[in-house]
Amino acid sequence: MFPGAVRGCTVHIPDGFLSPPVALSLYIISLLVVTYSGRRYFKEGGDIYYLSVMAAGIFAAQMLNWPIPGGTSAHLVGGALAGILLGPFGGCLAMFMNLLVQCILMGDGGITALGANAFNMAVVDVFLGYLIYKMVMRISGGKKFLAGFLAGWLAIAAAAVVCGVEIGLSPQFGYPLSVTVPVIGTWHLLLGLVEGVATGFIVSRVRVIGK
Amino acid sequence: MSRPYLLILILVLVSPIFGVIGADIVGYHEPLDVAAELIGLGESEPIWTGIFPDYTVPGVPDVMGYMISGFVGVGVLLLPALLRGRRD
Repeated sequence: MFPGAVRGCTVHIPDGFLSPPVALSLYIISLLVVTYSGRRYFKEGGDIYYLSVMAAGIFAAQMLNWPIPGGTSAHLVGGALAGILLGPFGGCLAMFMNLLVQCILMGDGGITALGANAFNMAVVDVFLGYLIYKMVMRISGGKKFLAGFLAGWLAIAAAAVVCGVEIGLSPQFGYPLSVTVPVIGTWHLLLGLVEGVATGFIVSRVRVIGK
Repeated sequence: MSRPYLLILILVLVSPIFGVIGADIVGYHEPLDVAAELIGLGESEPIWTGIFPDYTVPGVPDVMGYMISGFVGVGVLLLPALLRGRRD
């Protein structure tokens, strides 16, 4: 029963899933990365306007929760997209702003898991997505859709694997890494195809601000 | 209205079709909540449920509540853009 229930992990971890050491260390790491991103983004002349619009756009897009028969659903995450459009530092900040509002206003994602959720969606998804995009752009000679597709797809699958590791490392969840990682990872390799298509479609049609 | 604002407005307006109506049709439950129940974490209440718990407004029908909480969330995030405008 467990795999069916957890495979659709939307990567918004609620309260009570993570052990205190896991939750706390991810709070610290995420806070450091977000702070550093803030410094870099504004030092490099970044405009708060783009953070604000991107965060609101991601928030609205994540409300389109696609129901999947069987009682689960999936929504776009958009970390790779934000990283590609605003650059990794701006993307990280925009994703964090979105997660903060989701957590505080909507109770979406536990307040004790905010550090972990930020690590998965504002750090792993954003920075990895950005790197994959840049790499594929270089290798393919500038094929934007392909680069956006692979970035959106693989980065969200990686973020889901990291989510599986965090939950698997927390003893109260009751299932070990050998269960959580393959189950969540495989499922998101599938779901991530939608994220990839959406990311590729958008980045091939709008102006990229980030370098 | 500029294109990003218009796009965000449309996304929030159509979101209940997915987040509320579609979710009811397939009997949606938060996947990790289902997992929590299976392993006996179900009783543990969230520490903070939010001002609009799970995109609802107490006493307001779900579709309206979903939209209202969506507009509040979007509004908060858009504040810097609305107040400061674009620099270049």
